[in-house]
This record gives sequence, C-alpha cells and structure tokens, in this order.
Amino acid sequence: MFKKAAFLVLLVLPFVACDKNDDDQAQQNTPVSVGFLHSFYEDEVSVSSNTIQYTNGFGTSLSITRLRYLISQVSFTNQDGIKTIVKDYHLVDLSQDNSLTINDILLPPGAYNLKMRFGFTEATNTSSIYPDLNAASWNVPENLGGGYHYMQLEGRWLDPGDTPDEPYLYAYHTISAVQNPGPENTREDTSIEIDLGEITVTQGATQINVNMHIDQWFENPNLWDLSQP
Amino acid sequence: MIQKIPFIFCLFCIAISCGEDDNQNQGYSPTPVNIAVPAIFSQLLPPPEIPINNPLTEQGVALGRALFYEKQLSADNTLACAGCHKPNQGFSDQRRYSIGIDGIAGFRNSMPIVNIAWNTKNKFNWDGSANSLEEQVLEPVVNEIEMHNTWPNVVATLQTDPGYLSGFEQAFGTSTISQELVAKALAQFIRTLVSADAPFDKYLLAQATLTPLEEQGLAVFLDENRGDCFHCHGSPSNPLWTDNDFHNNGLDEDFTDLGLGDITGDPAQFGLFKSPSLRNLAYTAPYMHDGRFQTLDQVIDHYSEGLVFSPTIDPLMKTVAQGGVQLTPQDKAALKAFLLTLSDPSLANNPAYQNPN
Repeated sequence: MFKKAAFLVLLVLPFVACDKNDDDQAQQNTPVSVGFLHSFYEDEVSVSSNTIQYTNGFGTSLSITRLRYLISQVSFTNQDGIKTIVKDYHLVDLSQDNSLTINDILLPPGAYNLKMRFGFTEATNTSSIYPDLNAASWNVPENLGGGYHYMQLEGRWLDPGDTPDEPYLYAYHTISAVQNPGPENTREDTSIEIDLGEITVTQGATQINVNMHIDQWFENPNLWDLSQP
Repeated sequence: MIQKIPFIFCLFCIAISCGEDDNQNQGYSPTPVNIAVPAIFSQLLPPPEIPINNPLTEQGVALGRALFYEKQLSADNTLACAGCHKPNQGFSDQRRYSIGIDGIAGFRNSMPIVNIAWNTKNKFNWDGSANSLEEQVLEPVVNEIEMHNTWPNVVATLQTDPGYLSGFEQAFGTSTISQELVAKALAQFIRTLVSADAPFDKYLLAQATLTPLEEQGLAVFLDENRGDCFHCHGSPSNPLWTDNDFHNNGLDEDFTDLGLGDITGDPAQFGLFKSPSLRNLAYTAPYMHDGRFQTLDQVIDHYSEGLVFSPTIDPLMKTVAQGGVQLTPQDKAALKAFLLTLSDPSLANNPAYQNPN
C-alpha cells in the first residue's frame, strides 16, 4: 500500500547574495524535515476518533481510534549514489504531535532519492533492544515471534445489519510473520521498503511530507472483509 | 516538625544582596544527583526523563521528601501527600477513596506514584489532567476534597519555618518560597521513587526462577487468545508494566466519570483512564480508577467475563462481545500468581523514602 505514498516537497527559496562564496554555501548542509500525513481516500486523518466516518473499499464503515507505525532506515541517496541514513527508526503515533515529523536532518542541497522502510528488517527486528520502543510497549512477545510491532491500526466498524450503537472492533496489528508460534518459531520478513522517488533539497528549509493512504490497507493487495477473521 | 529534617541546613554566611535577586543567588551550589536506575531499567528502558528546568539535587530531593510528609500543606495541618500515597501501600492508598481534611471522600482511588520518572507520555493522573509532575503536585493542595488549602497560605506557612527557609535556600538558592519551588522540590523527590526489585525483576536478571504456576501465568499474560494483557500493561521487555496510555477497559456501559474525556472534552475519550502499572499489586488494592475491585481475583474475573460494551471501549477489548477472554480457573490462578511476582517488597521500607520529619 505504501507504494502509493505521496510526498510533497515545499521549496523555500531564500534570497542569497551572489558573491564569491556562493559555491561554498551551496555545499553547506541545510535543514530538512520529513512529515507524516495520513488520509482515507480524500479525507485527511489528523486525529483518532471513535466516530465512524470512513468507508473502506469493501464498503464497511469504520473509525480509526489509534494509529501507530514504525518507519526505519530513512535514507537520502544523492546523485553520486552516496546513501545517508538520517534516522534508524521512528515511531509515528497519530496521537503524539511530536512524532509526526522527523527533524534535525541536515543535508547539502541537491537531488536525492528518498527511501524508508515500513517496519524493521529481520536483521534489525531484535527483541528488547530499543529502549524507547520498549517504554512505548511496542514489543511483540516471544511466543508471537518477538521483535516489535510494525503497525497498530485500531478502531470500530459497523455491520450494516447491526444496530449502529454497537459496532465491532478491529485491531490490525502488523508484525513479522511468525511460523510455528512458540519457542521454535521462525519469522518471515513483512517489512516493506518504500521508494519515495526523487526529491530536491534546496538551500534553506525543505519540508517533505509523506502521506499514508490508510484506505489502502483495506484493499491493497487484498480486499478485506472485516467480518472475516 | 521541620527541626527534625535530617538534612543539614548549613548556615553559610554568604554575601548576597537582599534585593529581588534572591532567586539568582550565585553563591549556592546544590549537589547534582542522579536517580538510582535499577539494572533491569538500564537494560531495557530509556534514561529517566528529568526536566531541564528542574534537575535533581541532593538538597532538592531532601526538601521534597520533607514536603511530601509535610502536613502543613493541608489547611488544617492534618494531611500530607503521604497520607494518600503511603510507602507501605505501594505509594497508593488501600482505602477505595482517600479521605480529605474535611472528612469528604474522593471519587477515585489514589494512583501509585512510583517509577514516575519513566512516564514518557508526560500525562499524569488517572485522567491525564496534568502535563508534568510539577503541575500534578500543585492540585491536591487546593483540591477542596483533599488538602483544601490555598497556595498563598501554604507559602506563608512555610515561609515562617526557619528549617524550610534554609531548605529552599540550599535547594534553590532563595529563601523566598513559592508554589513553583514547592512543586519542583516535591517533583524531585517523587522522581526518586523507584520500584524494580520484585521477584520478576530478579527473574529477568537471571537471579531467580519462577514457579511453574508463575511461568504459566506469564504465558497467559502474553497470549493474545487468553490474557492478552501485554498491549496495555507492558511485558518482560517493558518493565514499567504500563503503556502510560489511556484506555476504556470495558468497566461500564454508562459513565459517571468521564476520565480523560472530562479533561479534553472529546467524546471519543469519555471513560478512558490511564493504564496503571501492574507493579506492587500486592500492596495497592483496591483496583481500577475507582477502586471498585477489592481483590486481584475480581480484576481477573472482569477481564475474563465482566467486560461490557460502551461507545469508546478500546478495540483491544476484542472479546467484549463474549464478555471477556473466558479464562479457565487454572489460567486465572496462574495469571494471579504471575502478577504477584511484580510486587516489590523492598519498596515499603526503603530508607530513602521514609518520613524524615
């Protein structure tokens, strides 16, 4: 689903003096921030709510009460193929405003390919090694394969045949797929590399917004009937 | 009382101006101190969160400790913070509702206040009404059904106590007491209240073993098809045993207490309360925000068979339609045995937390 993630680059073009230091200044690092936006089809999703206000591809009405997900290996690769990982991992929580932006990125102006990964790779999805994620109760118990969650998308949904005041609940939690749950379990990598294409970092502040199309989780690649387990 | 404060009020003769620059006294130098981070926290958790504008110092912590046990914070000099947050009761209160100075009961159970320095969400109280510990400690003093005092009165009272004048001088470089400085001192002390010496901590550190029943209980706790407790209450990887977040855990169909929603005004948050830590359950009965359950058995029964639906129920209460997770008697017994391994017997008598007055 994240293949469809859109991004918007806002270019702030400052006035710069045309003196002999231009070339030097052009190579100076400039601040870049990556923001995370969320939408459900045409609707912006900015806060979690128990209001059933979205309709998924299957036609099911639902709410989004919680959305948290993990992004890792946020990287900018320049035209020379030099890759800079600006953030090893980042937990986005719709209820925490300060999680919706990665700041403190400094890069020389230029063209880059921006990539990030939804979730952890198997190599980095090691149980208990990330203190901040532990404190956020982001862990997956060992009996379920260990490591960490990749996403927690939760809410309520309505069966058209039921009374509207008693919706059903969904808790769509993405983790590394585990085979043979238990002490001898094995895991299958379910993380997704997201290639966000080329972006341009200009001198001054560059804001890059990455939009998660939440609706796509319910239909891409499989149309999801929430009434079916 | 203040004469008994064990920390030393040294009487340095410091050449300071007597003007409005008391707060800027450059002669004072409180001794920085770090929270004693337990081994299991060092392994698994981020460092404790200490505000830049209120670093811990020996003098500040000692002052906060004296204030925590100071009954002069209440209007009639009968109730201290420790009156409702008792060391031998997990820094909580085994009464369902604490009783204020006017004999009036509150409407929520006293929340335990240990390991607060790891509250990464910075939302305090059952309803998240305080955004910092410094903010949190201000409210009970003026709450009409708690200490029922006023801050000007508290400040005036403390300002007449030579021991406190010296204590504030040493901790903050000023003898001009303010509610902000009282709050800072209290917050410093409360941040030092750390509990991580339970049998399960020793198990995690490979210093002890669990009984078979306790091991079975851990398995129930972590099993999504049985207890499914870990999403909100931590795990062996999160030894805080709370997510420090807010949930509606299926207690009521209708709310008499809106919890977080009462603070935010958001109907989506009606009936949400902060997940308490599962540490020290042996000492912190009764349970839930309103202390409705007297025993752990009742708590487990609630999640097993007692869940009820309401519009804001947490989606993690996946089995609400069946009334709960339907644990067997064996699973219930095992889960209880495991939960009790999270209680820290050293907390009550930790000499650093006792009344110094």
